[in-house]
Amino acid sequence: MAIGTLAPPMGAAAGLAHAAERSRVWRKFVRNPAAIAGALILLTVVGAAIFAPYVAPHEPTRQSLIRRFTPPVWAEAGKASYPLGTDQVGRDILSRMIHGARVSLIVGISAVLVSLVVGVTLGLLSGFLQGRVDTVIMTVVDVTLSFPQLLLALAFVAALGPSLLTIIIVLGLTGWERYTRVVRAEVLALREKDFVEAARAIGASPLRTLLRHLLPNTFSSIIVMSTLQVAQAILQEAALSFLGVGTGSAYPTWGGMIALGRDFVSVAWWLPTFPGLAILLTVLAINLVGDRLRDALDPRVG
Amino acid sequence: MLILVARRVVRLLVVLVGVSLVTFAILQVSGDPVALMMPEAPESDRIVLRQAMGFNDPLPVQFARFVGSIARGDFGQSFFHREPALPLVLERMPTTLLLTVLATGLSLAIAVPIGIVSAIRRNSVLDHGATFVVFLGTSMPVFWTGIMLILLFAVQLRWLPVSGWESWAALVLPGITLATFSTPLLLRIVRSSMLEVINLDYVRTARAKGVSEWLVICRHALTNAALPLVTVAGLQFGLSLGGAVITETVFAVPGVGRLIVGAIRQLDFPIVQAGVFLLALIIVLVNFAVDMLYIYLNPQIRVR
Amino acid sequence: MKRYVPLATALVLAILALGAAPGDVTAQAKDTLTVALPSHAPTLDPHMHFERVGILVNINMYDSLLHRDIKLQFVPSLATSWKALSDTQWEFKIRKGVRFHNGDVLTPEDVKYSFDRVIDQTKKSPQYGNIRAIKEVKVIDAETVHLTTDKPFPLLLERLVFFPIVNKKHVEKVGDQAFGTTSPVGTGPWKFVEWKRDQVIRLEAFDQHWRGKPAFKHLNFRAIPEVATQVAEIKTGGVDIIRNVSADIQPELKTHPVAYISSTPILRVHWIAFDMRVAPFDKKAVRQAANYAIDKQTIIQRLMAGLGQQVATTVQPLAFGFDAEVKPYPFDPKKAKELLAQGGYPNGVDITLHSASVANRPEFEALCQMLTDVGLRTTPRLWDPGPAWNKFSQTEGKGTHGVYGTWGNYSVFDADAVLHPLYHSEPGGWYGKWYARVEGLDKLIDEARSSVDQPKRKRLYTQIQQMIREEAPSTFLWTQYDTLGISKKVQYAARPDEWLWLFDAKPAAR
Repeated sequence: MAIGTLAPPMGAAAGLAHAAERSRVWRKFVRNPAAIAGALILLTVVGAAIFAPYVAPHEPTRQSLIRRFTPPVWAEAGKASYPLGTDQVGRDILSRMIHGARVSLIVGISAVLVSLVVGVTLGLLSGFLQGRVDTVIMTVVDVTLSFPQLLLALAFVAALGPSLLTIIIVLGLTGWERYTRVVRAEVLALREKDFVEAARAIGASPLRTLLRHLLPNTFSSIIVMSTLQVAQAILQEAALSFLGVGTGSAYPTWGGMIALGRDFVSVAWWLPTFPGLAILLTVLAINLVGDRLRDALDPRVG
Repeated sequence: MLILVARRVVRLLVVLVGVSLVTFAILQVSGDPVALMMPEAPESDRIVLRQAMGFNDPLPVQFARFVGSIARGDFGQSFFHREPALPLVLERMPTTLLLTVLATGLSLAIAVPIGIVSAIRRNSVLDHGATFVVFLGTSMPVFWTGIMLILLFAVQLRWLPVSGWESWAALVLPGITLATFSTPLLLRIVRSSMLEVINLDYVRTARAKGVSEWLVICRHALTNAALPLVTVAGLQFGLSLGGAVITETVFAVPGVGRLIVGAIRQLDFPIVQAGVFLLALIIVLVNFAVDMLYIYLNPQIRVR
Repeated sequence: MKRYVPLATALVLAILALGAAPGDVTAQAKDTLTVALPSHAPTLDPHMHFERVGILVNINMYDSLLHRDIKLQFVPSLATSWKALSDTQWEFKIRKGVRFHNGDVLTPEDVKYSFDRVIDQTKKSPQYGNIRAIKEVKVIDAETVHLTTDKPFPLLLERLVFFPIVNKKHVEKVGDQAFGTTSPVGTGPWKFVEWKRDQVIRLEAFDQHWRGKPAFKHLNFRAIPEVATQVAEIKTGGVDIIRNVSADIQPELKTHPVAYISSTPILRVHWIAFDMRVAPFDKKAVRQAANYAIDKQTIIQRLMAGLGQQVATTVQPLAFGFDAEVKPYPFDPKKAKELLAQGGYPNGVDITLHSASVANRPEFEALCQMLTDVGLRTTPRLWDPGPAWNKFSQTEGKGTHGVYGTWGNYSVFDADAVLHPLYHSEPGGWYGKWYARVEGLDKLIDEARSSVDQPKRKRLYTQIQQMIREEAPSTFLWTQYDTLGISKKVQYAARPDEWLWLFDAKPAAR
């Protein structure tokens, strides 16, 4: 079971030591039109999420049974006040999507934060203390890797009851192990380095030295991994909604909108399609940005 | 090398104990299992059952008993089916494995050639185009991809059956759906490991010696890229098993994932535990096999 | 040799996978009828489950003593006649010359055996509760059976409509396990061929069935969990009948070239159970306010395509004991606000309502909006069926301040089958024990369920309906319709008991 002990397959990036390096990365990043497009999409989504109450044309939970299933504005029966149409109880889809961006981003980012905290802490402990602690932690990593993540999340959310917090924690606790592996590998590599020995020789705390060098060294791969993890978490929330363990609230989520709208796909295609597109574009944008970020941060790829 | 293998085997066993701990926990976090089993019974009946099933013992004792039963292949009787849980899960396992193997194979078939071409013609339109299309596939919720594929290929074009597991044609759409889930990471791995290898000296030398470029790629570069690929494909296998849960539901495939999802709704914990444990066991074994392969393929480890 | 390792691995996996290779394609032939169900029941043994999806399969393989026709009248099946000998004793004459699928002839011993195996508590049949009242089954002669109940049991005939008779010799020979999985044998129109779990149950017409041969030679029940997938299947001819077609899908199937729909009113009633133990629903005025707040007609017309009927209480128009003289609460938001103020909430009150009825989410959300509009500001909590929900609603009864749900009486067309579970506060009750606290109601329900004097029962139920309409332990909503999507090559109509009695299905004349 050496999976846990293998170096991460994705190229670990070098540190961003000085400004010249940073500007090189930046130039490389902006040269790529796809990454720019991705960044713009992300900005829009984040903006929509933050300012949802101000930009959404309607209350996301306000219904009207009279105007249910209003098609999007460009369709024959569409209305300008409901640009993307209305759902099965006459709520404005655009407004629900704007508010749904909040939940999707909160789930994605919070779950990754949980993963980050757990993963990085355990990785540091594992690499720094080594020995028995290392063995225990790496066994836990192997155990975590042994479960189909979605199934485990499903079982636990179903048992604990539907809520946003449960989903965040369960998704967070099933995705931390890659951080542990990266951080641990980096700590192990750094320990061998001369300057750590030197620091120890002159009486500096080796922990502090490690941390000072470790963070910049793992920073880039952690950022890249986190962006991709946010995308994964957004998709996982949708999958859980599909399997019948949502947030349990009437407040919209993208995943919940698709999950509930999917039965109507043949009579009101706009119900699941627009939130589906929102997830698609957001995840795509995150992936594009994350991917180019990796290329940009990786000095070996010219 | 023998010591190395032995160490891995010990580790395998330790991990399996860990896996059973998590499986055990599923029942514990669900609350009082007896109350779930007989919601209508008076408390006196529940006390009797609790005692009989050993739910009053301390947790470590219960866990030890649980591990013991698992070792004997006994996950208890399914509450819903009134049959031993394990055979019910095993019965559906080949279906899920076939689906997952099919999807993993499909992923590799897509990822390897595209990854190679992308690496060689880096930053070409082809590179960007292929990456984009593959990303598109992974950016959609799996169930959404599935429903869209049904509407397009089964309802509109009538090329393939909508759902079921009755014919080979019925395997195509679920296979593709699940493959979109795991292809992107594999593609990324192939592309980046090819990039690393392509500029290495001996590949350059070979090329300089006039050996055909494709031959060089196949002989040298690909062999080197195989190592990370095998590792990641092993990891992806586990991810795909998770994705199979959704694919099986959309396409009415009679597999383990659907069984577990149903069992979760019916509070049928023996099935949930047996199913989750068995899937985990498969992933552990696949990873173990990958590990062994890794030791075998990687001369450095072997020498040490 | 190294390079062969991946190859060998692939080969091993492929061989493993071949074990799961799908069988041949069975084309949808003209003499085949395929039904889509969301799932399969755990067993084909008709006594060892109580799942709607299982009953629908069982009724086409087994017969009961009585049958119910599409107009809900009891008609003879394996019993040719029946009569009450006293308040607690019934006589049934058993049809002669009926054959089981394995060739055995039906005897009264089989009837007795069928009851005994459910009454035998060691077998833990989930249907035990249905016929708990039956104390003894006695074989009198070659065609007569006597049933004795421990007290007057008015629901006996209702319960016998689904009480399949099995073959004693056969079950004892193969054992319960095999009987439920690989060799079920009955007297029904179709006999068992094979069961691929979660995939398909295949049946074949039984040539010697006593009613005659069914119109379709092959009958398949496929398990398809996704609604969208079911709809796609019927459009492409993959299945011939889908159930529970929601109002919004109907227009599409109505106009579709290969399908049509068939609707009929059923027993399923919708209601919001109030937790009468806590504020604000401990006050009658507030409970009544909620009843006035709901615009039932708008929901029925807009959300349910008109396929619903508003009700005065939870007693359904199709059930015995229904009294049309008890009138539904009208929609009157002004009155609702007044009552709310009377109850002590002039400025409204915040409440939480729960529901795990996934198929009725739009209705639930609309209800919450309407309650909010009069000042019962409702936060909806949407659950899915599962352990957390069960724990929450059934083992602890924490559904403050109320639960929206539906009740289908398990197809028993009698007021008792809805009143007892919803409002009786004894431990055996389902929702009642947690939420309902109506003075004197328990006694009336008990009285009505222990008499076989039907006029007297009817009087009691009228009294109960007047009482609960006034006390309003629930918001009373509507009864719904059931809608089937049916392929144009099949002629069939939906039944009020939601059964799929496919002996009545015929190939459409072209």
